[in-house]
Amino acid sequence: MYMRHIIRAFLLLSLLPLAWGCSCKGSGQKPAQAEPEEAIDTTAHVMMRIQQCSRLYTAEYQIHKIVTHDDVVRLKGNFMNHDFNIPLPLGDRKIAIPMDATLKAYIDFSGFSEKNIERQGDKITILLPDPQIVMTSSKINQQDIKTYVGLTRAHFSDKEMSNYEQQGRQAILESAQHMGIIHTAQENAARVLVPMLTEMGYKEQNIVIAFRHDMDIKQLFNSSVERR
Amino acid sequence: MQKNKKMTNTAKIKIAAVAAGIIALVAIAIWFTKSVSETTMSVDADQTIDVTPEQIERIRAIGEWEFLSVAFEEMVDTTRKGFFSDDHLTRIYYGTLRLGVDMQQVDSGWIQVQGDSIEVTLPAIRLLDKNFIDEARTKSFYESGRWKPADREALYQRARQRMLRRGMTPQYIETAKTNGEAQFRQMMLSMGYEHVSIRFK
Repeated sequence: MYMRHIIRAFLLLSLLPLAWGCSCKGSGQKPAQAEPEEAIDTTAHVMMRIQQCSRLYTAEYQIHKIVTHDDVVRLKGNFMNHDFNIPLPLGDRKIAIPMDATLKAYIDFSGFSEKNIERQGDKITILLPDPQIVMTSSKINQQDIKTYVGLTRAHFSDKEMSNYEQQGRQAILESAQHMGIIHTAQENAARVLVPMLTEMGYKEQNIVIAFRHDMDIKQLFNSSVERR
Repeated sequence: MQKNKKMTNTAKIKIAAVAAGIIALVAIAIWFTKSVSETTMSVDADQTIDVTPEQIERIRAIGEWEFLSVAFEEMVDTTRKGFFSDDHLTRIYYGTLRLGVDMQQVDSGWIQVQGDSIEVTLPAIRLLDKNFIDEARTKSFYESGRWKPADREALYQRARQRMLRRGMTPQYIETAKTNGEAQFRQMMLSMGYEHVSIRFK
């Protein structure tokens, strides 16, 4: 019995110098975690989608959001018909990701035709579809990302961070509906189109820019909203 | 005789007590085994982000007319040579280059009307968004080793440069111009003008 332990200890001790030799091989006295060499970038795979369109962007919102995530490992379960949920010690991770996004609202002119125009003498009414919102860009402030990682946990992986960023992006898009961007876009559309129509010879007071949303028509004239 | 009878009764009581004890122990054992067999246990970590507010930093009135959009899905990777193994980071970026005109750059008298003829002079076609990558949509494809924020920023900049190089070509600018001309012509014809001329600066 003792003999077996002695043999094991001997084998382990004999392997140690071998492992040490491997770790220093080719790097002089430096261990394996020597300075990494310069990064090499390889070719990129690219896909494109080209679309011809006619969109008038009239409002731009710059949004800032700090995405936070408190990643606590919990022991959950049921024992003797009692539920338990205990946070594990030293298993805490936290991350804060600051991000900026640009939202724009546009009016789609691709289907614009005679049907969108109504004339009555000198008066002209332009009937437009309701504005749509699109996120034209988003930027993660990589340098300002803050993390805290507990002793027993691994660092946040790129995949995990991307997942939190995508959730943050989705949260911005969902809250965009309540930011009043549609209304701003409608008002600004009048500011772009009214000068254009006055250049064509129409008097400002004779121009009506209206929006159609189902059967509800909102009218804008010189940035004032009225309902018909 | 009486002593023997008393002994027998005591023995009977003892036997009954032991039997009851055994039955109780078996019942407890069954209940315990059943409870333990129904026990569930798992180690979980929630992956949902916390609810934080969105802050509107700036609202801007714009007048940008888009005629062509070129959407990119670009995979960019980087490798760091190590002693035992190499580290890799591969990410897929999404971006859309929007080409069109800024209506705030029109000159005075950009529309000239003479009877049923109209002449429209539009500003030059340009890239409408300097920042066009939707970085929050980025997919992490592969990662080995630890990477710093500066490495991710470098990948972003490379993806941006590549999209710009592929998207801002004379061919696409020309396509945007042709489409812009067609769209404005259609709009002017819809407004009742017979002869329409569309020019770009």
